[in-house]
Amino acid sequence: MSGGRRWLYAGSLAALLLLLLVPLGVQNAYYLEVLFRIFIFAALGLAWNLVGGYAGQLSLGHVAYFGVGAYAFTLLTLDLGWNPWLGVAGGVGFSLVAALVIGSITFRLRGPYFTLATIATAEILRLLVLNLQDFTRGAIGISTPPLFPGPSADRAFYLAAVLLAAVAYAFNLWADRSRFGYYLMAIREDEDTAMAVGVNPARTKLLALLPSAAITSLAGSLYASSFHYIQADYIFSIDISNQAAIVAMLGGAGTALGPVLGSVILTTASELFKEVFQTAHLLIYGILIILVVLFLPGGVIGFFGRRSRRRAQREPGPFAGSLSGEEGSPRHSSSSST
Amino acid sequence: MTKRFGGLVATHDVSFTVERGEVVFIIGPNGAGKTTLFNLITGYLRPDAGVIRFRGLPIQGLPPYRITAMGVGRTFQIPKPLAHLSVVENVMLGAFLRAGTYAEAERRALEVLERLEMRELARVEAGSLPVASLKRLEVARALATGAELLLLDEVVAGLSPAEADAFVGILRRLPEMGVTAVGGVEHIMRVVVSIADRVIVLDHGTRLAAGRPEEVVRDPAVVEAYLGTKFARREEAP
Repeated sequence: MSGGRRWLYAGSLAALLLLLLVPLGVQNAYYLEVLFRIFIFAALGLAWNLVGGYAGQLSLGHVAYFGVGAYAFTLLTLDLGWNPWLGVAGGVGFSLVAALVIGSITFRLRGPYFTLATIATAEILRLLVLNLQDFTRGAIGISTPPLFPGPSADRAFYLAAVLLAAVAYAFNLWADRSRFGYYLMAIREDEDTAMAVGVNPARTKLLALLPSAAITSLAGSLYASSFHYIQADYIFSIDISNQAAIVAMLGGAGTALGPVLGSVILTTASELFKEVFQTAHLLIYGILIILVVLFLPGGVIGFFGRRSRRRAQREPGPFAGSLSGEEGSPRHSSSSST
Repeated sequence: MTKRFGGLVATHDVSFTVERGEVVFIIGPNGAGKTTLFNLITGYLRPDAGVIRFRGLPIQGLPPYRITAMGVGRTFQIPKPLAHLSVVENVMLGAFLRAGTYAEAERRALEVLERLEMRELARVEAGSLPVASLKRLEVARALATGAELLLLDEVVAGLSPAEADAFVGILRRLPEMGVTAVGGVEHIMRVVVSIADRVIVLDHGTRLAAGRPEEVVRDPAVVEAYLGTKFARREEAP
């Protein structure tokens, strides 16, 4: 196991180095922009994964931190004259405060009620930003300050997105192998059991939301700056919350590699469909999501991971004493032939 | 202590003490209040009246995770492991409470598995275990938290008679590990009589009898509750 783990770390590091070298070969602005989006959404999916994947709290309101990051960065830089990067850091600060408030309200709720509450809090923020016109310019929107002035901005944005995704990925890897990650998984499985091993579920969920919100906020600032312009309706759009969740679930929620894989597949696919099917690409996108939920509940990783794990486990015979009820369960059904 | 759910009194003035190193069984049919009692002691429910002390300190009203941290472990009637993780990883979940690092948690977890004779299952995915092993896994996870008092809800539910005997046998070995055991069972089984230091019989939320197992099984009130008044009189006759 630890041997496999070492390969995973080495492979991840090699992949990161390779990705950092990409701008040397790819100069095309369009490709760099698609790559930027792939890694921004990978970062969003990885951030969401800490709360939605490992801890199993299906948030559909992560756009709150994305939007707060985008707006705080923009307004702090433009209106208060902060250095843009200080503005980005300020955005993280605001998002952490938002996470503490939103988390302590919504984490009292479970299941669908939690999900609805997260949607509601993000919507409240959208409406606030839309209507506090004196601060936010309301529906007119604002032009965002550049984080990377100069001709090589495309490359710089791409590299920033890769690094952000790498940090988010590292958090996920850590969750795989730490007390904190185990506690999150225990909460996902059953909060009563989690408490029986000494876990304070409310506090632990809030602690998971903090890094998640911070990364999401950074992605929001980067996105805002690369887009040159923000407006409440699309920077606080529920589509972004959904995208973060879908990317993680498509790849495999609760795994570190899942959201990265999900973003590569989904962003590439939506880009291809956009070319071929014009506006119908959203329809294709929707159908794809339904297919994944129906046929790949564990995501792409879950599908392949489960198969390899079964193979490794076949020889000892833990099933020997298993009750008859176990045999029909979907967990084992598809492996019985081999 | 007393617990009411609306108009239903789930446990009524039930009072008892367990000494360090004892093996005690709480016996009572379904609905007698065993699970309620365990939930009260471990903080999942708040008593409406009464005091619960652990090592002299009052613990009623504390949240379950605080009570776990104080050294009270528990298992659940329906085991809920992290199905996709291995057995040892599930036990580590408990071990993390007292272990600083991942490696230390793993070492502690393997020690506990060794003591419960399930070391060979360490790398098996927990979701593929049969019920008997899952119940044992629950005990392992609770022991790994460093519990000094272990409460086992429904010790034999879902097990075959042979599995049940083996599982009850585990409780007998807990005192050697420095752990006091309180188990809940539905019936007065032979194995319970043979290994218990004391038994407490619950019926409709009240304490019907308590004492050494061989005394309790002869207690007319217990015989009446389990077999009916006719048998109680017959017992007294000769």
